[in-house]
Amino acid sequence: MAVLLLLCVAMLTLYFRESDSGAVHAVQGGVLRVVAPLQNGTARATKPFRDAWNWTGDLFGAKSENAKLQKELEQLRAGLARELTTQDENDQMRLMLDMQRDQIYPDGVRLVTARVVAHSSTAWYSSTVTIDVGSGSGVQVYDPVVNGAGLVGRVAQTYATTSQVTLITDQQSFVDAMVQPDGAQGIVSGSVTGDVTLEYVDKNERLEVGQYVVTSGRLGSIFVRGIPIGQIASIGVQDVELYQSISLDPFVDFRKLDLVQVVTR
Amino acid sequence: MRLTRTAADRDQREWPSGGEIARLAVTLAVATLLQTTVAPNIRILGANPDFALIIVVCVALLKGAEIGAVFGFLTGTFVAIALMEPLGLSAFVFVLIGFLAGRYAETADLSAGFAPLVSVFAATLLANVLLAMAQYLLAREVPLGFFLGRVLVPSLILNTLLAAPLYLVVRLWLRGAGDLRVARAR
Repeated sequence: MAVLLLLCVAMLTLYFRESDSGAVHAVQGGVLRVVAPLQNGTARATKPFRDAWNWTGDLFGAKSENAKLQKELEQLRAGLARELTTQDENDQMRLMLDMQRDQIYPDGVRLVTARVVAHSSTAWYSSTVTIDVGSGSGVQVYDPVVNGAGLVGRVAQTYATTSQVTLITDQQSFVDAMVQPDGAQGIVSGSVTGDVTLEYVDKNERLEVGQYVVTSGRLGSIFVRGIPIGQIASIGVQDVELYQSISLDPFVDFRKLDLVQVVTR
Repeated sequence: MRLTRTAADRDQREWPSGGEIARLAVTLAVATLLQTTVAPNIRILGANPDFALIIVVCVALLKGAEIGAVFGFLTGTFVAIALMEPLGLSAFVFVLIGFLAGRYAETADLSAGFAPLVSVFAATLLANVLLAMAQYLLAREVPLGFFLGRVLVPSLILNTLLAAPLYLVVRLWLRGAGDLRVARAR
């Protein structure tokens, strides 16, 4: 056991001390190259079950929509899970295309469509996901990741065929943002609890619950301007604080992440 | 519970046969797949089930400390690779859990049916405390309220509830149906 524990400590030490192109990361990337197609296949195979599970969860949370849910239940019972999955994917793709049509992204930007193939169930790492595109598709570290609803996060690490994405709910995620239509500037940051807040907004700015928050795209920001992030859910102002305390409702449902797009330059 | 082996213990050590290794390899693959593809999408009582941890405990209870530790190391490493988590962290935790659960099985009376439940409860507690300590060492926030209310208590309840059915399945797979019939006859 002592040998195994020493090996673990050695791996951990190397992992955190070396750069992203170091030996341990390279081994992890090499293994991932083999595992990624399997993960992709499993993610696709289990999607109807995941959809059914999520659907069941929503069922309990929405008793008032009983009639609508009954209809969907009948559809599921009829074995339409696969068709529903395809339809769901089409809807996601359509939303992403709508964002492109709205010309949110500047010229010269390329969108690489990807699928979320894995995400951790550990509370400490629940704000990172793995997608099935990597440096081979032109994806680079810090590239923004979006879906039809808005900003998902940024690429944290890339391998040949996979990348790790840090979600905006992560406690080490910081996004330069502004409130629409006033233009008040701030930083959107995540937390260990998964809550998203807008920080460093001047106390004198007049904001209202429900206003939209988008990426500001200011000079030096890795995110292009205008990507929707969320809506203001609550605002707190204290006399002793310099800034307002603002919590956000992100547009993206991180529980159901599936198809995303990486914004590459 | 003795944590060290005597010379007599070492002499009695039996290495697994080819068939057993094949069954363990399948168990490892299933544990990794369950943990990386199914567990993140299942949320009960506010927590995700830790299939990998429960299966490591089950294997250790059935096969002993050494195999438990090696199985824990491999499971932790594969899960970390598949989920792009820091390599070595889960492996470290699972080696300890595999070894301790195995030693518990080797030295305690397991005829009482609650042994898997107690082991999984203790293993979940240890794993969560170690992972929280690791987060603290990595300079990430570890709010006590979040850790207790949103991480520790829900996962303790959920993993303990899942322990019995998973233990039965793993036992059936690793030892065959005959072993269960013998156990019932006792």
